[in-house]
Amino acid sequence: MLMHYLSGLGILLFGAVHIFTIFFTYPFQATIWETTLKFDSIPFAILPVYRNALLAASLFGLLLCTTVHAMNGLRTVIAELVGFRNKWVDRILIAVGVFLTVYGLRTILIAHLLV
Amino acid sequence: MLSQREGRTKVLQSLRVMLVPGRYGLERWSFVLQRISGVAVSLYFIAHILETGNFVGGITVWTVPEYSFAEAAHQKSVELLKNPVFDVGLAVIGFLVALHTFNGLRLILTHFGFLVGKPGRPEPFEQPASLNARQRALFWLSISLAVFALLYTLDALMGVFRV
Repeated sequence: MLMHYLSGLGILLFGAVHIFTIFFTYPFQATIWETTLKFDSIPFAILPVYRNALLAASLFGLLLCTTVHAMNGLRTVIAELVGFRNKWVDRILIAVGVFLTVYGLRTILIAHLLV
Repeated sequence: MLSQREGRTKVLQSLRVMLVPGRYGLERWSFVLQRISGVAVSLYFIAHILETGNFVGGITVWTVPEYSFAEAAHQKSVELLKNPVFDVGLAVIGFLVALHTFNGLRLILTHFGFLVGKPGRPEPFEQPASLNARQRALFWLSISLAVFALLYTLDALMGVFRV
């Protein structure tokens, strides 16, 4: 339970940074499709966010906390539905979590190093 | 050990109990909304990681590609995602994320004994204890902030409130 709460508070912290960079830094006469979701053509586009080491690290923090929180939450809901814990469900969710962490870290590192 | 049929019946019964909070109180609605938003946002999170992976070329790319290749991959992904259905879907996700976050904060505070009030002696024929006034206020604050998140996301993606 404590792990679920701590990862949730981590999401609150890192998620706030993520939401701020995408949804609160764009010029408000445009939409985010024309601004913060552009590849690299303006200062607040996607790639400059990944190039900043601190923001890239906060994205990894968000990835880690969300993976733990989501997989643990799904495990809880499935256990509530079937009435007991199933070790195969646990194993599948751990495998999905490891894949998401590795794949997400790969995306962050590639975008960080892309020139 | 349950048979396959018994197991399926049990899951359906649990789903019915979990997802139909109508004749129960606000507490139950809070529980159901927290579960539904949690599962929906978890599934979105998986899709989001896969989708942002496509921004740099997809699952086959594990080294830093040419800049032009990544830019073209990003452009292709944006063309696929930029449509009203996706925009509205993302606004609904914004609603669910905000609801799950603020209602989750209320649950954390409650778990550690904040805002729950003092325990009292139950009287005969008394209604069972449910959310107190402060808890109810926080629940409705969560809903209000979630509605704001929905509207803000709609505006950020589609510019619906521009003159």
